[in-house]
This record gives sequence, structure tokens and C-alpha cells, in this order.
Amino acid sequence: MVLPVTTLGELFTSRIAVVVPEAVGPTLAAELRARLERTGYARYALLDRGSYDVLSPDEPALFTALTGIAMQVTGRALVLAEARALRLRAGDYLLAHHDRVHDDHPVELMLDLSPASVPGAEVHYRRRGHVYFRVPSIPGACAIVERGPTVMCNHTYVSKLHGAAEVVRLVVLLRDQSPG
Amino acid sequence: MWRLGSTWSDDGKLAEAWRAAQPFPHLVFDDFVPADALPELLAILEEEPVERYEGDIFTFDASAPEPQTDELRRLRDAFASTLAPPLSRITTKQVSRADMRAYAYRVGHYLLPHSDHQVGLGRALAFAYYLPSPEPPDGGELELFRCRAEHGALVSTESALLIEPRPNRLVVFDVSDVSLHQVREVLGGLRISLAGWFYP
Repeated sequence: MVLPVTTLGELFTSRIAVVVPEAVGPTLAAELRARLERTGYARYALLDRGSYDVLSPDEPALFTALTGIAMQVTGRALVLAEARALRLRAGDYLLAHHDRVHDDHPVELMLDLSPASVPGAEVHYRRRGHVYFRVPSIPGACAIVERGPTVMCNHTYVSKLHGAAEVVRLVVLLRDQSPG
Repeated sequence: MWRLGSTWSDDGKLAEAWRAAQPFPHLVFDDFVPADALPELLAILEEEPVERYEGDIFTFDASAPEPQTDELRRLRDAFASTLAPPLSRITTKQVSRADMRAYAYRVGHYLLPHSDHQVGLGRALAFAYYLPSPEPPDGGELELFRCRAEHGALVSTESALLIEPRPNRLVVFDVSDVSLHQVREVLGGLRISLAGWFYP
């Protein structure tokens, strides 16, 4: 069997990294933000790694819907592995070396639940330090990225020039269903 | 250019201040360069090209790691030869050479918390020298953090000191795995500096 791939670079870049616009509407996003707020965020502040609020969401219906979107986009049979909600305000960030290395190739889905777009507040996926995929600040959009051992991710610094900025991201990790 | 004033005449007193400084050893020297030398210094930097650098912990404009003009190269070498002997005595870290880049932090630029300490690079001391700016910066302070490390990883970090980027001020600070610091985001104006590290 001959694979239609000529270089390792092509093999790497063939992995999916897309943004699905309007995955949720503003009303549902507002409801989700309110539920997350009621659940209660914890502050993370080891500043050499990140500065943000985090919680473990319990949204089974939403996870099922998002998993369906990811399966459509990737063509893979996926199940929920873990999920967390992040909230960044002015001055917050998550650095790349705070990200986790995945030895396998899970799918990461990032749903932007922010109330408004925040200029410059992006998520960067990096391969060997170089940004290869930028997720812009688009409320309601959902980024779907097939990760791998060389992929790292950072959430860019939220400028204090946008003092009232609030960035809310639901980060869902999906893995292939076990055979049988 | 780099003429040391009377502040530098008492190594013992400076060594004591270095050791006592919190949250980690550092020294701040105001009016570092004689006022009549500043125009010459600024003229040297006008010729040095700068470009935008962006990473997950920084966004700023800076000159290349190696100076592009002979003038900045000479300025760097003179800085190192003037400062390395007294700093070696004061800090008990034996340093002999330095690198130096010119930095321009514009509105929205920042350098997030980091320690400068990387195994193999040999950075012993860090320095930042602030230059007069046509538009004095709002923000851009050097912030030092008090940290606690366990097994080589930081387990707590808290803000401990803000140092304003005043013109003609030199800051020298220790490089270690707990020397966490940042340049706060510039919210207005322009922050111009020369910065780098001393090496053995």
C-alpha cells in the first residue's frame, strides 16, 4: 500500500484545524456563561504558567452535541475524555509550556462563549514553537483541532487596553472510541 | 560614555544592598549616565534597526540579538568592560561580558512573567537601562515576584515590587530559577530601553 503523502510535513499538516462559525447562538452562550458562573470558577495564578479562572463544567447535553460536530468534521468516532471552562479577563493568559503534551492524537474542541469579541485574544496552536493555527476571538464559534505529540497551545495575553474584556472558552478533549 | 559615579565607590555598601534586596537580589541606579552623555547615546540608537518580536510571553520591538551597527557593538562592549568588574565584586558572581539589545515597547506591548534562567545559557545577571522617551510610558514597569520553588518548579508566585522605567535608570538583578519578573503592558507612550545579560 502506498500512502498519498510525500513528506512528513504534509503528513503533519494534513491534520484538521478548523473554525466552525456560529456553533452556538448568543442566547445559548449567555445561558451557558451564567451556568458556569453559578458553578463557580477557581483562580489559577502560578504566573510563570498562566493567569485565569477555571472550572470543570457539567454539561452532558452540550458535550454530546459538540462531540457530534467534531465527529462530522473529523470523520472519527469520538468520545468525551475531559472538559474544562476557562475565563480570561484583562491581563490574563495561558502560556504554551503550561499546556499538556498528548502522546496520542486527540481532538480538541474549543467553544468561544465570550459575550463579545476581544481584539487580540486568540488561541495559538504551535508546532515546535511556531504558530500554525490561530483561533480568533469569535463568540459562538468552535475551533476543532486534531492534536499530536508535537502540538502545543497557548491562550494569548488579554490586553488591559480592553479593561472590561471577558473571554470564556469551553475546552473539550475528545478521543477515539475504543474498538468493540 | 559609561562613567561610574560616586554611588559605585563603596562596593561593600552595594553588596549589602544587593543581598538585602527583596524579593530577590537587585540594585537600582538613578542618573546612571551623566546628563551630557545622553544625546550621544540616543544618537547611537537612532541608527540601529529594530523589528517586531512576538511569542507567547512577549510582544515588543527590538534590535537583533547581535548589534547591526559598530556603534552599538562598541557601546555594549564598553558597558560590559565598565560594569563587569564592580558587579563581580558586588554580587560575587564573576561576570566578564554582556549582550545588549535595544527595546521599544509601544502601546499594548508586554513581557509576561519569566525567570531568564535557562540551563546552558550562562546568564548570570540581568540588566535594563531606561532611556528618555519622546512620549513617556504609561505602564511598562518592571515587576518582580516573590516565588517559592519545590523540586525545580514554582509552587507560589506573588507580586512584590514595581520598578518604574524612569529615564537614565539602570536596574541590575539576579538570574536564578526564582527571579520571576515581567514588563507590565505599556498602556500609553513609548518605553525605550537597553537590556541584556551578563555572562561569566
